[in-house]
Amino acid sequence: MNNTTRILTVDDSPSMRALLNHALSGHGFDVSQAEDGMAALDWLAMNEVDVVITDINMPRLDGFGLIERLREGSRHRDRPILVLTTESSDEKKARARAAGATGWIVKPFDPEKLVAAVRRVSH
Amino acid sequence: MTAEEIQAIFFAECEESLEAAEQGLAACREGTQDSDTVNAVFRGVHSIKGGAGAFGYVALQGFTHVFETLLSDVRDGTVPITESLTDVLLRALDTLSDHVTAARDGGEPPEDGALLAELTAAMAANAGAAPTAAPEPTAAAPSEPVAAASPEPESASDDFDFDLDLDALLDDISGEIQPEAQEAAADAGPPRWSVRLRPHSGAMRNGSEPLLMLREMSDLGGRCDVCDVSSVPPLDSFDTGTGYLGWTFSFPADVSEASVRDIFDFVGDDCSLAFGADAEMPPVQHRDVATPAPAPVAAPAEPVPTKAAPSVAVMAEKPGESEAARAALAANGSAPPAPPAPGQSIRIELGKLDKLIDAVGELVIAQAMMAQRLAGQGLAVAEEMAMIEGLTRDIQESAMSIRAQPIGSVFSRVPRILRELASSTGKHVRLEVSGESTELDKTVIERLGEPLTHLIRNAVDHGIEPADERIAAGKTAEGTLTLSAEHRSGRILIRIGDDGKGIDRERVLAKAIEKGLVTADTVLSKEEIDLLIFAPGFSTAQQVSNISGRGVGMDVVRQNVKDLGGRITIDSEPGKGTTFTLTLPLTLAISDGMVVNVGDQTLVVPLANVVESLRPEPHEVQGLGANRSMINVRGRFIPVISLAQSVGAAQAVCDPREAVLIVVETEGAGRAALMVDAICDQRQVVIKSLDTHYRSVEGVAGATILGDGRVALIVDVDSLVSRSLASTGAAASLAEAA
Repeated sequence: MNNTTRILTVDDSPSMRALLNHALSGHGFDVSQAEDGMAALDWLAMNEVDVVITDINMPRLDGFGLIERLREGSRHRDRPILVLTTESSDEKKARARAAGATGWIVKPFDPEKLVAAVRRVSH
Repeated sequence: MTAEEIQAIFFAECEESLEAAEQGLAACREGTQDSDTVNAVFRGVHSIKGGAGAFGYVALQGFTHVFETLLSDVRDGTVPITESLTDVLLRALDTLSDHVTAARDGGEPPEDGALLAELTAAMAANAGAAPTAAPEPTAAAPSEPVAAASPEPESASDDFDFDLDLDALLDDISGEIQPEAQEAAADAGPPRWSVRLRPHSGAMRNGSEPLLMLREMSDLGGRCDVCDVSSVPPLDSFDTGTGYLGWTFSFPADVSEASVRDIFDFVGDDCSLAFGADAEMPPVQHRDVATPAPAPVAAPAEPVPTKAAPSVAVMAEKPGESEAARAALAANGSAPPAPPAPGQSIRIELGKLDKLIDAVGELVIAQAMMAQRLAGQGLAVAEEMAMIEGLTRDIQESAMSIRAQPIGSVFSRVPRILRELASSTGKHVRLEVSGESTELDKTVIERLGEPLTHLIRNAVDHGIEPADERIAAGKTAEGTLTLSAEHRSGRILIRIGDDGKGIDRERVLAKAIEKGLVTADTVLSKEEIDLLIFAPGFSTAQQVSNISGRGVGMDVVRQNVKDLGGRITIDSEPGKGTTFTLTLPLTLAISDGMVVNVGDQTLVVPLANVVESLRPEPHEVQGLGANRSMINVRGRFIPVISLAQSVGAAQAVCDPREAVLIVVETEGAGRAALMVDAICDQRQVVIKSLDTHYRSVEGVAGATILGDGRVALIVDVDSLVSRSLASTGAAASLAEAA
């Protein structure tokens, strides 16, 4: 098994993807990007990944929809998925959890917290 | 990738977000208020907020936060979409746009206190039970000053909003709100303190792994003191999904409880925690009885949005109807052109693209040179050559299409211009846009904004009448501005039309005479009078306004359009309105030209100017003084201009009867016939600017490289014709008389 943790970041905002990429690549993660839920599904159909980090509000297929689709299939049922959220209210967290997210990252994120969150859910 | 580069991406994205939000709001105002549209607006603002937070633009983030909160209420259906609301939202969007500009250029953030108060008021108005749509200040929260909603802005409400933002910001920054269990930790005794935990079934859902938490606790300095296996049932009643094991971990005193709680942040109620030495081990939760769903918080009024598109109840009172309306919209396909299904796309630095275009230009030239060489060897019809020719054209077209952008990016700025005009002139104007997906070259698009803005301001300021005048004339109080774009025979036509009073030709003529632009006895056709408004220093505004009455506007517009290789024409009807038509090339880099020989020189005449070419019959040419002549083209006399004389070419044909005449249409001087020796070819030429390689020369638009490697000048027909007609003074007025 590969030692590098492979991450797929899903966000419709190019700058947010760039920021995630910037923060994660520096810590030795192998980062791939998708611009929305549909693109992420396409990518995940062909590639292996250890952790998915996804924004919630996106065109075509949003973050919750993406998680739902991934949890439906067997291949990614137990995949750690972190959602990016701008709010840290308990309600939002419960929602994310109920929707099938493993954890969350509150935007704007601190790179170290981001890395810690990824480490927390990945092997 | 550096931080600056990421920021640059962010600002490019802000532009797109603003545009998307603007379109969404416009659609809302037109009555399209479905969840997709509202969500698109929300998403635009939301994404700006995300980036603003990440890059530390506090003012921008503060403003977007309030804006977003209101939009979120609108999306959730708690704030109904009314005309006054969309009005506030549109103004908020304008301010947001200023905020973005300020953040990008490092300028002062705009004054947004009053607007923030309005946004907050819009939320507050609907927060209470009272469903009054009026901005009557209902007490939003008992402790907050009601002043927030009052019409006088600034001071008090300003402070209030700032506090509100700060709270939100602090919330975002601090992330978690720590539970009040801190004292318990303090009591836990100095040497070590312990925590008991028992993961439940849910702790293994959603890709969570309790083992990782145990590992993280050890990394933190925790030690597993006890593993409680007492609840593990006999094998036959064992449920793999239930958490039977419990652990007691002890930590040194310098490890805070908060840092341990952090580890369990993600699992929430799916793992019971008990802090303190005397705490009991939490009981096992069996799956069927257990997990009454993450207790109090997980019972939101609306269902958890697991659907791809959370449906939004807009105008909740008549759900059936709105549903039907939506279906109808979808059926007849008149739903707004949803943001073009974003295909896969990448961002390319413009410089790289320009390099490609340049290379393609060179390729076109090289190919032409090779064709010429082959022709010299008697191989003109080589099949391979035809293939290369076809491929070159394909590559060229693809390369150009990469640079092509929909004109919508320019049109989308118009609503804001109209709003600003509405507030300064009091004239409300409805906008009708068509053809916004028409594509043209990026450089053309970039330089189109200014003349377009001028024309629109002009249309509203001078064209469209004040409401009372309109009603008196039997028109609707609200004026209409029509913007359209379309491709026509390799060029693009942009029309800016208003339904105003049309050009007042008497006044225009009087003004022109007064300004000395024409003499009092000049007889001018309607069209010629209309064109006078483009004359430098012309302004008919009785009251010089700060919008378009500076008298520099229209001639600058014409100059801008001309610089783009385009033309502008006016079509005005008194009482009905005025339409300006801009004819522009699709690109500035390549154009169609007629290659002509004049004595020892080869020149290119842009095809855009060419009307026809002919070899005159001797009786059609009439001499006029020593070295001028006119030609009769189907009963109309037009002046003949010797291209050889204009460019100083030697050994040219100088008798029009033996020459070829190219009839050209010009902007300022009507038609003229250019006299040349022969027409050699008609083909695409790659335009090289003379300014960058040499210097600007009057009468020359640029240069190109011919197939044989020679440089040929491209004639600037407009300036060449007007210059050579002016040099013989009377010619123009004689042409008129004839």
